Amino acid sequence: MTDQNIIEISGVEKRFGTFTAVKDLNLTLKEGEFFSLLGPSGCGKTTALRMIAGFQDHDAGSIRIAGQDMAHIPANKRPANMVFQSYAIFPHLNVGDNVAFGLRKLGLSKADMKTRVAEALEMVELGGLQARKADELSGGQRQRVALARALVMRPKVLLLDEPLSALDKNLREAMQLEMRRLQQKLGITFVMVTHDQYEAMTMSDRIGVMFAGKLEQVDRPEVLYARPCNRRVASFIGGMNFLDARVTGDNGATVDVNLQGFGPLTIDVNPNAPARSPDLLAGIRPEQLEIGAQRPEGYDACLQGTVSDIAFYGESVHYYVRAAGVEQPISAAVPNYFHTVDHKRGDQVWLGVQNASVIDLGARDA
Amino acid sequence: MAGLLRTEAGKGLALSAPASLYVGLLVAAPLGILVAYSFWTQTYVEIDKTLTWANYLEAATDPLVRHLMLRSILIAGAVTAATVALAYPIAYFIAFRTQKKTLWLLLITIPFWSSYLLRVFSWKLILGFNGVLNSALISLGLIDEPLTFLLYNEFAVVLTLAHAWAPFAILPIYVSLQKIDRSLLEAATDLGCSKLERFVRVTLPLTVPGIIAASLIIFIPTVGDYVTPSLVGGSQGKMIANLIQVQFGPANNWPLGATLSLVAMASVGFAAILFAVLATALGRRIR
Ligand SMILES: Nc1ncnc2c1ncn2[C@@H]1O[C@H](COP(=O)(O)OP(=O)(O)OP(=O)(O)O)[C@@H](O)[C@H]1O
Ligand SMILES: [Mg+2]
Repeated sequence: MTDQNIIEISGVEKRFGTFTAVKDLNLTLKEGEFFSLLGPSGCGKTTALRMIAGFQDHDAGSIRIAGQDMAHIPANKRPANMVFQSYAIFPHLNVGDNVAFGLRKLGLSKADMKTRVAEALEMVELGGLQARKADELSGGQRQRVALARALVMRPKVLLLDEPLSALDKNLREAMQLEMRRLQQKLGITFVMVTHDQYEAMTMSDRIGVMFAGKLEQVDRPEVLYARPCNRRVASFIGGMNFLDARVTGDNGATVDVNLQGFGPLTIDVNPNAPARSPDLLAGIRPEQLEIGAQRPEGYDACLQGTVSDIAFYGESVHYYVRAAGVEQPISAAVPNYFHTVDHKRGDQVWLGVQNASVIDLGARDA
Repeated sequence: MAGLLRTEAGKGLALSAPASLYVGLLVAAPLGILVAYSFWTQTYVEIDKTLTWANYLEAATDPLVRHLMLRSILIAGAVTAATVALAYPIAYFIAFRTQKKTLWLLLITIPFWSSYLLRVFSWKLILGFNGVLNSALISLGLIDEPLTFLLYNEFAVVLTLAHAWAPFAILPIYVSLQKIDRSLLEAATDLGCSKLERFVRVTLPLTVPGIIAASLIIFIPTVGDYVTPSLVGGSQGKMIANLIQVQFGPANNWPLGATLSLVAMASVGFAAILFAVLATALGRRIR
């Protein structure tokens, strides 16, 4: 990643009739960055991506790519290429001609074109498959051809609309690593749309979380996980227990709170959650809660409750604990170290939490 | 029998039996009779049933047959080309440029609500010596004398048939356009194509099957048409089917008529296959 800005979007808006699909979008991406746009179905991710690609015009604001305003530049002239969700492999052309499709416009010599196609296919591990027909490809191969076809153009920006959503889980995970490796090697800016939080977290330098047309938070994955800006973002990424907290003292960088069920704690103020009020919403990740039959030692606050449900995930076990004064069961995740499930439904258990594990999510109604 | 009906092949046979029977009776049987006739000879009132190649020899050597056959294929080719060229933009409009597809498809079938003969006669009224077109041009003062090149020639045949066949060309082309995944067009744009390049490199090759279907649907029956040429074609517009009709009618030479029919069928079949192969190969060359 360099310090050069490659995409600068400011105040972009898109309306379909009276419905606003994208509201006041502001985003600056660095050259060589892997950026993911994450959000639930219908939140406007594809619309945002298509405005960058030039398939959809915007009603307000400006989009600049590599310093150039894109307002009057049609899609076929933009320094961005796209990998479509359906892959859009031309069915009448073989793999080699699909990859060469955009190159034919560049007036390259036959030999140069051949070399570039071969290189691109090599890059996505489809070397030598030039003559394969489009309808003889598997889903994963189609995905790679689509990637090669866009990358062979050497774009400044590669736009990907849910590029892996049509693949099965194992192939998807393999492709995630491979695409990340390729992106780092080529140093091209990737903008990927996805609704899979794990995909976004494992691949991206930064993630933008979008809800109902609004980009709510843009941050590095680990920041997004540790300091989400509100309840929506917190619940969209990873598991989260939400508890009410009453502020009892303000120390500047930290606040003293009385946490529902757990009692007094001192937690860090979350700079991403600007809306303040004496009634805070607090979040605790399930894996950061300690669970035990006895009251755990060395924790800043504890709570006693009854196991109401158990969910076995393989790599971890989730216990749902009901406690007095808390409406929702609290979930605690325990890594599956020894192939044991330590608690049964109905067991009395203790939950322990540290100050640092409690996330301040700002005013409760933000 | 019950056991046979339960297998996949058995079910398939049972399902296709009524159609096969129907086709067998109405196509294969007459065709068989036609083939038989073509090897017989007409002797004034009776048919001489000794097998002979004489009719084929006559068909092959008679310059009139060759001339009419060639002209039929050329006129049918012109009709096909004109119809497909006119139908493509309409099909394109319905597939890509309008939301009211059903309405437009309905409008396109409207000519079928009146009889084919009536439509041919209407063209006669429009193109004739004292027809609508000539009267209009004269009253506008654009011409002094009625134009005579409008009716009773190949041009009139092509015009009339192109109009009559239009829906048959529009529908298959529309279907093949409609099937094109819109993201393919966006991908072409994304890879740098202008609208025209995108049409030539993606839309056109993907609609080759529709173009071939439309062409064959028009070409094959046009070669054999005899109503239109005899009504609007005049002597220059006569086609092979008019000669065949004469053999079965006034000339009363059924064996020769049968032979000419078979020769026409073979020529049409050959031309059609040649066209389909060429069009497919051409489509494949576009990259
Ligand atoms: N051409 C259009 N006309 C009218 N409304 C549209 C159009 N395209 C998108 N929308 C609306 O805009 C909103 C955002 O659509 P968009 O396709 O961007 O969602 P998305 O975030 O990509 O969702 P998904 O994850 O399901 O693909 C949706 O409510 C959709 O109905
Ligand atoms: Mg989408």
